[in-house]
Amino acid sequence: MNAFSSYHPEVLMLYFVTVVTLSMLSMNPIFLAIALFGAMCYFASLEGIKKFLTSICFYFPMFILIAVTNPLFSHNGETILFFLNDNPVTFEAIIYGMAIALLIIAVMYWFKCYNNVMTTDKFVYLFGRVIPKLSLILSMALRFTPLFKEQIKKISKAQKTMGLYSSKSISDKVMGGMRVFSALLTWSLENAIDTADSMRARGYGLPGRTSFSLFTFAKRDFIMLSGIIITLIAVLIDIPKGFSYYPVISAIDMRFSYFALAVLMFIPFLTEVKENLKWKYLISKI
Amino acid sequence: MKKDLLVISFIILFVVVTFRGTKIQSVDEYYLTHIDDIMPNSKTVTLSIVCDTILDNYDRLDPQLKSDKYVPSDGIILPPTKYVLREQDTVYNILDRAVRHNKIQMEHQAPHLNSYGSVYIQGINYLYEFSCGPLSGWMYRVNGIFPNYGCSKYELKDGDVIEWLYTCDLGRDVDCQWLGIRESTSICLGGDFN
Repeated sequence: MNAFSSYHPEVLMLYFVTVVTLSMLSMNPIFLAIALFGAMCYFASLEGIKKFLTSICFYFPMFILIAVTNPLFSHNGETILFFLNDNPVTFEAIIYGMAIALLIIAVMYWFKCYNNVMTTDKFVYLFGRVIPKLSLILSMALRFTPLFKEQIKKISKAQKTMGLYSSKSISDKVMGGMRVFSALLTWSLENAIDTADSMRARGYGLPGRTSFSLFTFAKRDFIMLSGIIITLIAVLIDIPKGFSYYPVISAIDMRFSYFALAVLMFIPFLTEVKENLKWKYLISKI
Repeated sequence: MKKDLLVISFIILFVVVTFRGTKIQSVDEYYLTHIDDIMPNSKTVTLSIVCDTILDNYDRLDPQLKSDKYVPSDGIILPPTKYVLREQDTVYNILDRAVRHNKIQMEHQAPHLNSYGSVYIQGINYLYEFSCGPLSGWMYRVNGIFPNYGCSKYELKDGDVIEWLYTCDLGRDVDCQWLGIRESTSICLGGDFN
């Protein structure tokens, strides 16, 4: 499942920058829904349905939490549902909260895909020459969350093998989690020093060193790049402006840019699907 | 399992305390306010809410507010109306009672949420601070004078005339008199603008 990620890093970088910026550009609900849906489909095709469903278990409560929190602080809006401590809770504020939640979750899903696709070597290949130090820091920082996740699994497995916190009680599990977290914290500090030492030992940053990478800009990369740019321009010339939620939610109008955006957001998913079908077809011929 | 039960009972206790502390009212309940009848011997004050400065700056108004519903064509949201003054009533009490009685939308910031220790009126009739340019917001004056402090600190007396005015220019367009003398705009709105 890496049809899209096999494209040239420049194409991929441009794509992710475009997609994340577009997701944050407009508060139009259709815009946000398309962005989120595209990200979810791509994430599911990258990591598999099972991982996707577990991620939903985390993001759905977060969606609800943001949607419920906004009306507690924002009381603008014409459709009053009820009054909470003399402050109106309005329909518009809830919808606005949902829109913010959509935006945040869409961007988070795109970054999850980014983390999967743009590996460190691709990032350093792109920016290693231009901004060597910053690119190193960025690639290390972006690697942190997945790295910590892996390490948490390892630590908790080790704890369980030692027979600690294997009871079914929830509060015991929470305490065990705290213990794992403190172990992780110590490990991360040690790991940072280790990494630095190891890099120095291998002569990172010394003059005259080159790095090898096998990325060639092929014809299909050019086609993909021009496809991205054309759809991006199509979205930008007709971008919906001035969608407001207060005091009444403005009407949703049909626009050409929705289709262009849908094409742009679903490029990676469709590439995966196309490659998958091709594979199935070729296998069936054997 | 004993620990689990303890934790769960603590969570339940927390939820109950939170819910006991919140007051949930339906829309009709909220607007059902008791307005005292005006007797010959009762103390009264006059209240009006005017936003006619927006009419001069209509192009700066947020596009979604450009409607007769939010900015009446004469700029008068509430014409001068007499309200009975209760003991220790402040400008805020009268405004709150009046907007509830007339079902006008109003949002305020509670006194403990700002550093002035007084209620701050963020918006009336969906017209909020900054809705009509960066220098816009609600101000009040009593008997033609703009007080230098928040509306829940001004205690009223019999016969006072309260005007709530929407300014689009930090009070200069509604004749905030002492503005020129003090040469400081920040005191006029009670906000930190310089």
